[in-house]
Amino acid sequence: MRLLFSTLCLCLAACNRTPERSLTIAVNAGVEGTALKTAAKEWGSAHGVHIEVIELPYANLFEKEQLDLTSHTGAYDVLMLDDPWFPRMVQGGSLAQLPRQPDADFVTTCTDVCRNPYRTGAYYALPYVGNSQLFFYRRDLFAKYRFPAPNTWQEVLSAAQKIGAGEKMYGYVMRAAPGNAVVADFMPLLWAFGGDVLDASGKPVCDSPAAIEALRFMLELGKYSPPGYAGFNADEVSAHLLQSTAVMSINWPAWIAAMDDPSKSKVVGKIDFIPMPSGRAPGVGELGTWLLAVPTASKHSADAFDFIYWATEAAQMKQAALRGNPPTRRRVFEDINLIAKFRAFPAQLASLESARPRPRTPLWNEIENTFGIYLSKANAGAMDPAAAMRTAAAEIGKILERAQ
Amino acid sequence: MKRRVPEGFWWVLPALVVLVSLSIYPLIYSVKLSLSNPGNFSRLFSDRLFAAAGVQTIVLTAAALTVEFLLGLALAVLIDSLARGRAFFRTGLLVPMLLPPVVAAVAWRLIYNPQFGMLNGMLRQIGFNTEWLTWTSGQNSALASVILVDVWEWTPFLFLLLSAGLQAIPPEPLEAARIDGAGAWRIFRDVTLPLLKPTILLALLLRAMDLVRIFDQIFILTQGGPGTATETVSLYIYRTAFRFSNFGYAAAMSFVLLAATMLFSRGLMRVMRSR
Repeated sequence: MRLLFSTLCLCLAACNRTPERSLTIAVNAGVEGTALKTAAKEWGSAHGVHIEVIELPYANLFEKEQLDLTSHTGAYDVLMLDDPWFPRMVQGGSLAQLPRQPDADFVTTCTDVCRNPYRTGAYYALPYVGNSQLFFYRRDLFAKYRFPAPNTWQEVLSAAQKIGAGEKMYGYVMRAAPGNAVVADFMPLLWAFGGDVLDASGKPVCDSPAAIEALRFMLELGKYSPPGYAGFNADEVSAHLLQSTAVMSINWPAWIAAMDDPSKSKVVGKIDFIPMPSGRAPGVGELGTWLLAVPTASKHSADAFDFIYWATEAAQMKQAALRGNPPTRRRVFEDINLIAKFRAFPAQLASLESARPRPRTPLWNEIENTFGIYLSKANAGAMDPAAAMRTAAAEIGKILERAQ
Repeated sequence: MKRRVPEGFWWVLPALVVLVSLSIYPLIYSVKLSLSNPGNFSRLFSDRLFAAAGVQTIVLTAAALTVEFLLGLALAVLIDSLARGRAFFRTGLLVPMLLPPVVAAVAWRLIYNPQFGMLNGMLRQIGFNTEWLTWTSGQNSALASVILVDVWEWTPFLFLLLSAGLQAIPPEPLEAARIDGAGAWRIFRDVTLPLLKPTILLALLLRAMDLVRIFDQIFILTQGGPGTATETVSLYIYRTAFRFSNFGYAAAMSFVLLAATMLFSRGLMRVMRSR
C-alpha cells in the first residue's frame, strides 16, 4: 500500500511540473485564430516561453473562456474574444486592466470596445482583428443595368427587383437563422431606419415605428432572397454569391478572399465591397472586432501582456493581414503593398471607422437570442412584423428586469 | 479497539472516488445551483420559450418514437423472415447508427439545402417544382425535417433490439399456433407481439429517454429555428447555461426535464405491463 501511495505521489508531482515560463492561449478556430497561433509560436520561440494554444470553435470559445473567468482558475493566460462578449467578461474584475493605453494608430471604434465603461473607461483589451460588415454587390451586373453602386437601401431594393428579374437570379440574399445570424443582418437596416434595440438608458426600443418599418423592409428584401433564407447562415449566403445565384448581400470581410479565389468562386473580380447603404440615418455596419485580453487570474500576466502588445504592433499586424486577418491599425490598412494585394482594404477601413458595436450590455447574448427568435419568426412568415417587434421588446424588457 | 477496514475497501475506493466526484458531487452542486435563486422554479411557469421548447420536445419525441418503432419492427420482422442474407441486411442497416450524430447532421444539412442540396436536386430531376420546398428553413417543415434525420439515424437501433427480441422467441409457441391453423397476422398479433413485449418496453424506454435529450442534430440543422419551431428543452438549457451563463435556471430546467422523463418512463412501463 505504501508503495502504491508513493508511486501515486511521484506521478502527481511529475504531472504538476511545468516549464518556468509558459503561456496558454485560447483562440477561435478559424482564420483569425490561425494567424494568432502562428504569431504566438514565433513569439514563444524568440522569448523562450512555452506556448500552448487551445483552439476552440466559435460556439465553444465563449463558454470555455467565461467558465474560466467566473471560476478564476487561470487556465488561460491570453483570451481571444469577440467584442460583444467583452461587457460580460470584464464584469467583476475578471479581466486585467492594460498597463498602458493603446496608441493612436488603432481605429477608434476598435479601441472603444476595449474600454469599460464603453468609450470612456479604462482599457482591458487590445483589438486584434478589425471586422466590420461590408456590402457585397455584383459590380458587373450593376454596370450592365446602369445602376450606380447602391448608396441607399431603397436603391438596393430597386436593383434587387430589376437585376434579379433580368438575370433570373436572386436579387438579394440574407441570413435569417435565429440568433446571431438574423440579428447581424438586421442591425444595419435597423440603424439606417433610425431604430435601435436599446435606447441610451438601456430600455428596449425595438418596437418603435422605425424598427417595425426596418423589419417590414427586411421582409420586402426577403421577397428577392432565395426561398428558405429564414434558415440561412453565413455559409449559405456566401454560397449564393460564390455560385453567382444572388446579386447582393451583407457579409463579413472573412469572405472577401473566397470571392476572388477561382477554385471556389464563379464571380472572381465581379464583386465589389462597399460600406453599408444609408436610409434615414447614415449607413453603418456592425462591428465584430476580435480582442486580446489577459484574465486577472492568469499566473503569467507579465508575459501575457508582453505578448498581446507585441501581437498588435503594426509589423505583426501586417503579418496577420497577410495571413488573412483584417487589421485594426490605420497604418496597416493604408500600406500600399497590402492594398495592392487586398483591394477591399479602403472600403474595409471606411466601414470600420464608422461601424457600430452591438449594444454594450453584459446581457447581450440573451437579448440577441430573444431578438433573433422574433426576427426569425417574422422572416419565416410565422409572425407579423409589428407583433414580432412588440413581443421581442416585451421579452427583452423581462430579461433586463430579471437582471436588476 | 481499532476498527478494521473492511476487506476490499481499498479496491473499491478508486471507483467510489470517481463516482462521488463525477456524479454525486455535480448532482448535489446542481441542486444547490437550482435553489440559489428562489425565482428559478417559479420562472418556469411564465417562460414562453421554455413552454414552446417543452411542446416541441413532446411532439418530436412522440412522432419520432412512433415512426422509428413501427419501421424498426417492420424491418425486424421482414429480415427475420428471410431465409438467406440476414447478416448482410443487419450489418447494412446499422450504418447510419454508427455515424456520429454530428457528422450525420452536417451531411443532412447539406442534403437539405433548398438550392444546392441533393434532395431538392433529385426531386428537380424527376420533374418536381422544389421552389418552396425549404426543409429545415420552413416554419412548418423544419420539425418534420429534424424528425426525418432522427428516424434515418436511430431506426436501426430499434431494429437491432427488436431483431434480437424476435430471435429469442422460442419456436414452440409459433409452431403450436401454426398447427392450430392460425394465419401469419394472427400469429404475429397473438403470439409474437406478447412475447416481444419486454423487448419493446426496453427499446421504447431507451429511445424515448434519448429523444427527450436530443441536442446535436438540432444544434447543427436548425439551431432551434426558424423562430422556435425546432427549439427543444435540451437546446434551451444549453443556451441558458453556456450562452447566458445562468447556471441556476438551467439546473432548474434540467431537474424538471429529469422529472418529466422519469414520469414518462414510469407511465410507459405501467401501460406496457397492464396489457
